[in-house]
Amino acid sequence: MSDLSLLVQMGFGALLALSVYLPLRCGQLSLATPGFYVIGGYVAALLSTSWSALSGDGAGYPLTSLALELVVAALVAAAVALVLGRPVLQLRGIYLAIATIALVEILRVLNLNLAWSGGAVGIFGIPQPFAGPGGYALATWVLLALVCWLCARLEDMRLGRAMAAIRDDELAARCMGIPSADVKLTAFVISAVIAALTGVLAAHFLNTWNARQGGFDASITTLAFVVFGGSRIWLGPVLGGLVITALPELLRPVGDLRLILFGLVILLGPILFPQGLITPERLARLQQTL
Amino acid sequence: MQVPSAQATAASSLLALEEVSCRFGGLLALDRVSLQVQPGEIFGLIGPNGAGKTTLFNLISGVGRPTAGSIRWSDGAINGLPPDRINRLGIGRTFQNLHLFQRLSCLENVLIGLHHSARAPLLPALLGRRSFRQSQGELRQRALELLELVDLADTARQPAGSLPYGSQRRLEIARALATAPRLLLLDEPAAGMNPIEKEELSALIRRLRSRFDLTVLVIEHHVPLMMSLCDRLAVLNFGRRIALGTPESVRHDPAVIEAYLGVSA
Repeated sequence: MSDLSLLVQMGFGALLALSVYLPLRCGQLSLATPGFYVIGGYVAALLSTSWSALSGDGAGYPLTSLALELVVAALVAAAVALVLGRPVLQLRGIYLAIATIALVEILRVLNLNLAWSGGAVGIFGIPQPFAGPGGYALATWVLLALVCWLCARLEDMRLGRAMAAIRDDELAARCMGIPSADVKLTAFVISAVIAALTGVLAAHFLNTWNARQGGFDASITTLAFVVFGGSRIWLGPVLGGLVITALPELLRPVGDLRLILFGLVILLGPILFPQGLITPERLARLQQTL
Repeated sequence: MQVPSAQATAASSLLALEEVSCRFGGLLALDRVSLQVQPGEIFGLIGPNGAGKTTLFNLISGVGRPTAGSIRWSDGAINGLPPDRINRLGIGRTFQNLHLFQRLSCLENVLIGLHHSARAPLLPALLGRRSFRQSQGELRQRALELLELVDLADTARQPAGSLPYGSQRRLEIARALATAPRLLLLDEPAAGMNPIEKEELSALIRRLRSRFDLTVLVIEHHVPLMMSLCDRLAVLNFGRRIALGTPESVRHDPAVIEAYLGVSA
């Protein structure tokens, strides 16, 4: 894999980690991220392969069409999240996690069996808006920068404070006038949109899309990003997504040992840093020493 | 301030409970409790442990719902409404067993109480424009003023969970005040405080009432404090309201004496 391709994948990892982080920021353990990622990918794959008007005059897939796909994917994911979010977010803790895993699995089985999603084979020959991985890297990291900026701004805004309040003590938050159901739904919808946008880029980047892109494994992997990096401030999931995506590649020189080392990192991370690598306190200390 | 008479009527009341009952399985926590709270008064709720005082607070603030009876606020029924709606109607509360946002700073705790004053246009907020920063600055100023009022301005940056017990209780009051209530429910605000702190708290509650035009409903075990603080008192025992009236009349009520001291053989 080229270095640039690895950068693209790391960007995807960080984006998906942020998608898991947002509901967690208001105390909701939702593992639905891969489901919305898959939805985004299918929107891109279907639009770009079956709607010839989008393909332009033949000299590469136009960026305007990619932009259109991003908008459509965001809208579809937001709509699905809005409809499913109300009932699903009534569940708490581990029950919400189980329900969202079920959602991801239902989507996977549907995509595996429905005709329009290409069944088990999936959709092939997704056109390329960029000539090489460099363009993808740029697009992915621009998106990542935008999402990071959104998360950073959230810390200053009342929505961000309301999310922190619900995470700390939902009953108290409600008694202070915070409509917790609406806040949780908002976080869930933003999370879904981030995952779907990532899916659009991923479908083009991978050139092919199928039901295996999202499933239980992906739910656990994206959760590992956040557990490893930390879930209390946005920098944590970003770092977790980048590092855990890159690690298997970076460890390639050590040969067969790499899976053992990777497993060790995943295992030792939460033991040595139960709150994740990055916490607000650690950041503050770092700022002081610099 | 005009102190309402002991025989207040339902018509002029701010909060009126009519035959409110609450049953948890086989336990009747509240049994047809009726009472009216008049605007501007400090109304006390006393009674032995397990009498149903906190349950009553939970029903008023929407944390629980009554199994029978109605709760009227101003002129509408509010039983069954969720807590956030009830708070927005003007009822703020504190908790007996402290529900602060432990990991957040005192300032942030109060800022969360100011949630509905913090509404700002989305785009300037996202872009961090000057208009947004200005409104945030004003918000912080208001939060600091509230902290100052309860004598916590010095600890604004500290996590709420790190404060001593008495300070946490006062922080809960500041946070509830931030939601701009007309009625403040205080659930054992003096618990864990020493006698001097209790005296200060009593003065604080009176000060807050006149400054914010508040009506206060307070639960407290410390009877002497309640006698001096409250305009009227209701006494609960085993879910029933056994007495209601001025501190003086309640003090001499035989039913109250029996509940607190037991019957002489």
